[in-house]
Amino acid sequence: MKFEARLARLEAIAQQLESGELELSRALALFEEGVEQLRAAADELTKAETRVQQLAERANGTFDVIEPRE
Amino acid sequence: MTPRRAPRGAEGSDLDLFAPDSPPPPPPSPAPRTPSTRRSARPPEPERADAYPGETAQSAVTVSMLAQAAHDVIEGAFIPLWVRGEVSDFKAHRNGHWYFSLRDRTAQIKCVVWSRDQRGVPASPDDGMQVSAFGRLSVYAARGEMQFTVVRIEAEGDGLRRKALERTRARLEADGLLAPERKRPLPRFPRVIAVVTSLDGAALHDIVAVLRRRAANVRLIIVPAKVQGDSAPLELCAALDRVNRWGKADLVIIGRGGGGREDLWAFNDERVARAVAACDVPTISAVGHEVDMSICDLVADVRAPTPSAAAEAATRSRAELQSELKKLSLRMGSAARATVRHESDRLRHLQRDVAAASAELVQRRRSDLQDVAGRLHALSPLSTLARGYAVARDEQGATLSDVAAFRDDMPFDLVVRDGVVPARVRRRGSTPGNPEAT
Repeated sequence: MKFEARLARLEAIAQQLESGELELSRALALFEEGVEQLRAAADELTKAETRVQQLAERANGTFDVIEPRE
Repeated sequence: MTPRRAPRGAEGSDLDLFAPDSPPPPPPSPAPRTPSTRRSARPPEPERADAYPGETAQSAVTVSMLAQAAHDVIEGAFIPLWVRGEVSDFKAHRNGHWYFSLRDRTAQIKCVVWSRDQRGVPASPDDGMQVSAFGRLSVYAARGEMQFTVVRIEAEGDGLRRKALERTRARLEADGLLAPERKRPLPRFPRVIAVVTSLDGAALHDIVAVLRRRAANVRLIIVPAKVQGDSAPLELCAALDRVNRWGKADLVIIGRGGGGREDLWAFNDERVARAVAACDVPTISAVGHEVDMSICDLVADVRAPTPSAAAEAATRSRAELQSELKKLSLRMGSAARATVRHESDRLRHLQRDVAAASAELVQRRRSDLQDVAGRLHALSPLSTLARGYAVARDEQGATLSDVAAFRDDMPFDLVVRDGVVPARVRRRGSTPGNPEAT
């Protein structure tokens, strides 16, 4: 799941929980899912990195992504 | 009028101001300073075989030769230079060339800008503008006029650039490219950001630095292009086109670091603006510093004051996202706790309700019982006994109410008001059919 989707799911879970209209069992299941999503998202964040590359076009109009010269 | 070659080099030796059938230039004369003084100093003498061209009526030069000589003298005497004056009689001819005069209070000179030299001029000057024009002085033989051949014009207060900007802006506006409703929102989490800028410029350096500092989870794809100079507009357009054809970017940043007005000029080019508008993905324009506003900025979906600001607008930092996760976690936790609290409150209420209901039930049953007891009491034989009657019961407690129930010698109990009297049936015989109690 993409980070963006996780964040959206977490937002939806929080909203549902905050609505106060859930049965206890449903609320607890959602909470559990939320905790799982939070952990996955936090994991993803610690692995985040910025890559810098360069686009190069071949003579035939196709593309290469290459490492830029320093 | 046919387009003529414009003077390029300092020598002007390849000039050809004459019509194709005009005679070749005259032999170089021994450089008379001014033909008029020469003529007055040396009246013509007829019939001299060795007379130099123009010395006598017989050796008269042609008009063309004279004009060419004047041309050569003028071109040889002036290097290209800047001339200041006011523009008047401006005319953009349909052949593509511009004609106007430069004047001050006491003199004027005819000027021309060949169409191919107009690239060096942001916009055509208007009558009345104070300008400085760079070019070289020449002679237009067909009219016998001096002509200043202009290749660059700078207007006072940068008027020409402002005029060019306004025109470009008006054209883009007419095509709806500046409409606010065209602005697309930026993706919240772009994975691939294309940056169209110069490989060795400050902009790229700043953008990379910001992304690394923020630990943004992105791939930055550099799409190199020159950002200043004559070839910059086309290179920028080509780079933007490449981004579209590659098709994998979520977002494009186009820009460059700060520089002089002229350095930033490529970003005011209409072709670049249209290429930005034609981008398939949202665009951020970051040209120069805060104060620099370019046409490219107007067309892009978002205008960032600097390349660094563009990088910040495009991405979200790790710290920012972590705090967002923290907030979500707090919200979920307190909502879940509230739900649990709510449920346990409900449970407590239920308990109380059940207890209250059962107490009430017991109470009701009790009063029902008393009711029945009262009614039972009314029916009880005990009250009859109290009035002096007795009841006979056999040893099992069954009521003996018929004579036939009494057998000879049978023991039984006689229940009276205040107790039980043991008794026995006497042998019958004396009074048949009437057993006798003892």
